[in-house]
Amino acid sequence: MTVHNLYLFDRNGVCLHYSEWHRKKQAGIPKEEEYKLMYGMLFSIRSFVSKMSPLDMKDGFLAFQTSRYKLHYYETPTGIKVVMNTDLGVGPIRDVLHHIYSALYVELVVKNPLCPLGQTVQSELFRSRLDSYVRSLPFFSTRAG
Amino acid sequence: MADPTLFEFLHTEMVAELWAQDPDPGPGGQKTSLLVLEGMGFRVGQALGERLPRETLAFREELDILKFLCKDLWVAVFHKQMDSLRTNHQGTYVLQDNSFPLLVRMASGLQYLEEAPKFLAFTCGLLRGTLSTLGVKSLVTASVAALPSCKFQVVIQKP
Repeated sequence: MTVHNLYLFDRNGVCLHYSEWHRKKQAGIPKEEEYKLMYGMLFSIRSFVSKMSPLDMKDGFLAFQTSRYKLHYYETPTGIKVVMNTDLGVGPIRDVLHHIYSALYVELVVKNPLCPLGQTVQSELFRSRLDSYVRSLPFFSTRAG
Repeated sequence: MADPTLFEFLHTEMVAELWAQDPDPGPGGQKTSLLVLEGMGFRVGQALGERLPRETLAFREELDILKFLCKDLWVAVFHKQMDSLRTNHQGTYVLQDNSFPLLVRMASGLQYLEEAPKFLAFTCGLLRGTLSTLGVKSLVTASVAALPSCKFQVVIQKP
């Protein structure tokens, strides 16, 4: 059980942060393109899910999985999107993604006078706290699944 | 008391506003902004000095006043006590806060070190203002070795 990587986007599609822990295969395109691709896909899936849902929408798009990995998604009312790729053994982690938003992003970036919102996060404190939080998660192990 | 975040956000905006208006990035312009912030802190400190001490009326000596700053003033404004107070018993006091709330969200180490003084100017004025209402003339400076820990040096001015 492991975490592969994590993306953080704001409401305009700017990639605020990206970290990876276990990623064996890269996308083959430059990082900027990869972020745009990820954001575009999320945008399309969200609107697809809301249009095609046979019942009233409650939380909307939560996750998708392939035979090798699972992508978890969490969006806040302000448009901040937290995307985490893990392996298949991991169940719903909405509360983890919410914690990343409220206890890490809001506390260390929004409340940091020197971090301008809407740009990639430069704060080392945010980076290191996020890293130690993810490493402390019960489904994170050093052996890639 | 109100949610501490309200004061933090307001303070962030004060610093940002003063720096945004100042087109001259040289040391002269910076100093003015720091003085303005310190002056604001001074006036707030003067008012707090009148309002805060309720039971503790008898400040027998200077050390009691400094202890009041470390305990009551810090708790009222920052919701925590000062971590340490040292003195040379000759009018110089060093107040150390190991996780100063206005700095604790910025970094834990050396990143942003050169920006830190901007966020301490208001608090230096706050200390100087409170001391002045309590009858003590002083000079307060702040220094940061590694965020979020900072030291405020208070030098009492003998008339």
